Amino acid sequence: MKFIVSSSALLKQLSSINGVITTNPVVPILENFLFEINEGKLVVTASDLQTSMITELEVESKENGNIAVPARILLDTLKNLPEQPVTFSIDEDSYSVEISSDNGRYKLAGENATDFPKVPNVSDDFAVDMSTDVLSSAINNTIFATSNDELRPAMTGVYMNLSDSNTTFVSTDGHRLIRYRRVDIASENGSTIIIPRKALNLLKSTLPAENTNVTVEFNMSNAFFKFNNIKMICRLIDERFPDYENVIPAENPNKMIIDRNEFLSSLKRIAIYANKTTHQVRLKIAGSELQISAEDLDFANEANERLSCEHDGSDIEIGFNARFLIEMLNNLHSDRVSFHLSEPNKAGLIIPEEQDENEDILMLVMPVMLNNYV
Amino acid sequence: MDAFFASVEQRDNPALRGKPVAVGGSSDRGVVAAASYEARKYGVHSAMPSMIAARKCPDLIFVKSRFDAYREVSRQIRDLFFEYTDLVEPLSLDEAFLDVTHNKKAIPSATLLARELKQRIFDETQLTASAGISVNKFLAKTASDVNKPDGLFLIPPDNVLDYITRMPIEHFYGIGNVTAMKMKKMGIIFGDDLRQYSESDLVTRFGKSGHFYYQISRGIDNRPVNPERIRKSIGAENTFSRDITEYSEMIDQLRNIAREVDRRMKKAETRGRTLTLKFKYHDFQLITRSKTISEWIDNFARMEPLIEEISSEIDPSEKGIRLLGVSVSNLEQDEDTRPGALQLTLEF
Repeated sequence: MKFIVSSSALLKQLSSINGVITTNPVVPILENFLFEINEGKLVVTASDLQTSMITELEVESKENGNIAVPARILLDTLKNLPEQPVTFSIDEDSYSVEISSDNGRYKLAGENATDFPKVPNVSDDFAVDMSTDVLSSAINNTIFATSNDELRPAMTGVYMNLSDSNTTFVSTDGHRLIRYRRVDIASENGSTIIIPRKALNLLKSTLPAENTNVTVEFNMSNAFFKFNNIKMICRLIDERFPDYENVIPAENPNKMIIDRNEFLSSLKRIAIYANKTTHQVRLKIAGSELQISAEDLDFANEANERLSCEHDGSDIEIGFNARFLIEMLNNLHSDRVSFHLSEPNKAGLIIPEEQDENEDILMLVMPVMLNNYV
Repeated sequence: MDAFFASVEQRDNPALRGKPVAVGGSSDRGVVAAASYEARKYGVHSAMPSMIAARKCPDLIFVKSRFDAYREVSRQIRDLFFEYTDLVEPLSLDEAFLDVTHNKKAIPSATLLARELKQRIFDETQLTASAGISVNKFLAKTASDVNKPDGLFLIPPDNVLDYITRMPIEHFYGIGNVTAMKMKKMGIIFGDDLRQYSESDLVTRFGKSGHFYYQISRGIDNRPVNPERIRKSIGAENTFSRDITEYSEMIDQLRNIAREVDRRMKKAETRGRTLTLKFKYHDFQLITRSKTISEWIDNFARMEPLIEEISSEIDPSEKGIRLLGVSVSNLEQDEDTRPGALQLTLEF
């Protein structure tokens, strides 16, 4: 079997799906790209069993055939070749792959394509279309708050709930929770899935910069994302997502509105002086002034700053993990954000003051208990 | 206590007295846990594989360990310690640091106190002990190794430097075999040689421990006798009578050990966040793999999925595994010592 392809076109497609391949896969064949040639079309698959990505491109070829090609060597070769047509010659008995270019010839040992694990077929139980902008903003807004705790698998992914009026994305690590709702995506028959973090991270890096359409199809066990000429298939997390609505306080009477950038830069400075384990900062809201302070008793470090804010409610002193606050504020775009608080040991809400009309963002963060309330 | 386990065996079984005795399994995979002084003459020492010990001393008598008996003696001597001071820091079943600066009996000399304590230990247990007396923990431990068995040795403050100067590096308490070898390669044979190195030199070569080596080479050790030494990990391990080569058997054995760790953790009323597995191969290559999670590891059910996850990258069929261990660290009490600051969690 033989085919000719542009080195840069192939490199571009391989690079976009290469992220799936792990350095030390469960089965060694997963260190390969699966090449399938059919009627002048090359379909390339990369997989780690949980997640697979598929891309396709036109090649010049007279025969059909399949081969598994070592990913690392192939990518490194293509990266270092000047743009030119390259010829792949595959010996179907020995699985050896020979690449010829203007510069020379490279021979590498491929593997039998039939050993490559089968990627589940698209069975469109359920489908919804969204734009890449919407999907990437949903991912960016939620993925940072997912948990690493593999003993609570449901929380290692992002929960997606499609209803007839909106779609809600939720992530939580047990200390904070993000609810990102879109009213511009909806579906008549409601459905919920949990998408693993790795798949979302891959999507995040592969979604094209220009806005196009993404088709999301899913059934009970797998989700399929299709955009441009790329397909991603991931196994869903088959767990019950925590009952997140119950932990969002309905009414937090103490409201503070503050300039997001001012608050963020202040927090970044104060956090330097916070305890390195707890990252605890103290917020003291009195009248229309917010005092932010931190101390690290181990090193006798301390810092405090004052900012003005709009405040509606009684004076309050509450502790938070500075890193959580910084991460959350960093992910918002609104110029001003409002904090909805109740008690120093109850969840606080962060809500952007200005939101896109199709968006509804709510961020929840649990406090760090201060040891002394003055 | 001198040759602790072996001495207890000789005390309880007159037929063993005056004979070379090793406590531990005699099978071809056993290890000597303790050797009587008669056995030590032949070069038998603790942690030596039983096969080698038997070769060195053909008349060696192996006896099975009886930890209940040792624990009982341990309790007896500890009770005696507390008659003199509350500042007792146990090092093992049969060793402890005592700060007798202000002792309950107001004995003015530590040497007199040690002599009295040794006599009382003998009266109560018919076993001999060795004591080392000096101005800090490092020197006291060093002194205790000088005159064994039934020894009593004092390093007075004025003699500290003299003493350290000519002490072989491998006798320093806190310098293990590996470090001693490294130091010898650097030409450090005696305490005096170690003292020639600057503190920054030692830190560059040995990391954090460099500070410690610099200090002890000058006889300085300001660590207090700490009666409540914080336990850092809790674990269990098992050496098998034949190598494990099956993955499923390895997992089963790890589960068994984890159940034991679970039991010990409950007894100690503690829990941790890090699970560490230890694998020793047939060729004694040792690897450890650990995983830390944000939740408490407080029972077997929490350990099981972690064990499976960590073990998935271990292949026992290659070399065969002779020892498996499971331990939990990052224990709760470490964190509790930090004042205040508690990250609250959502209650799902």
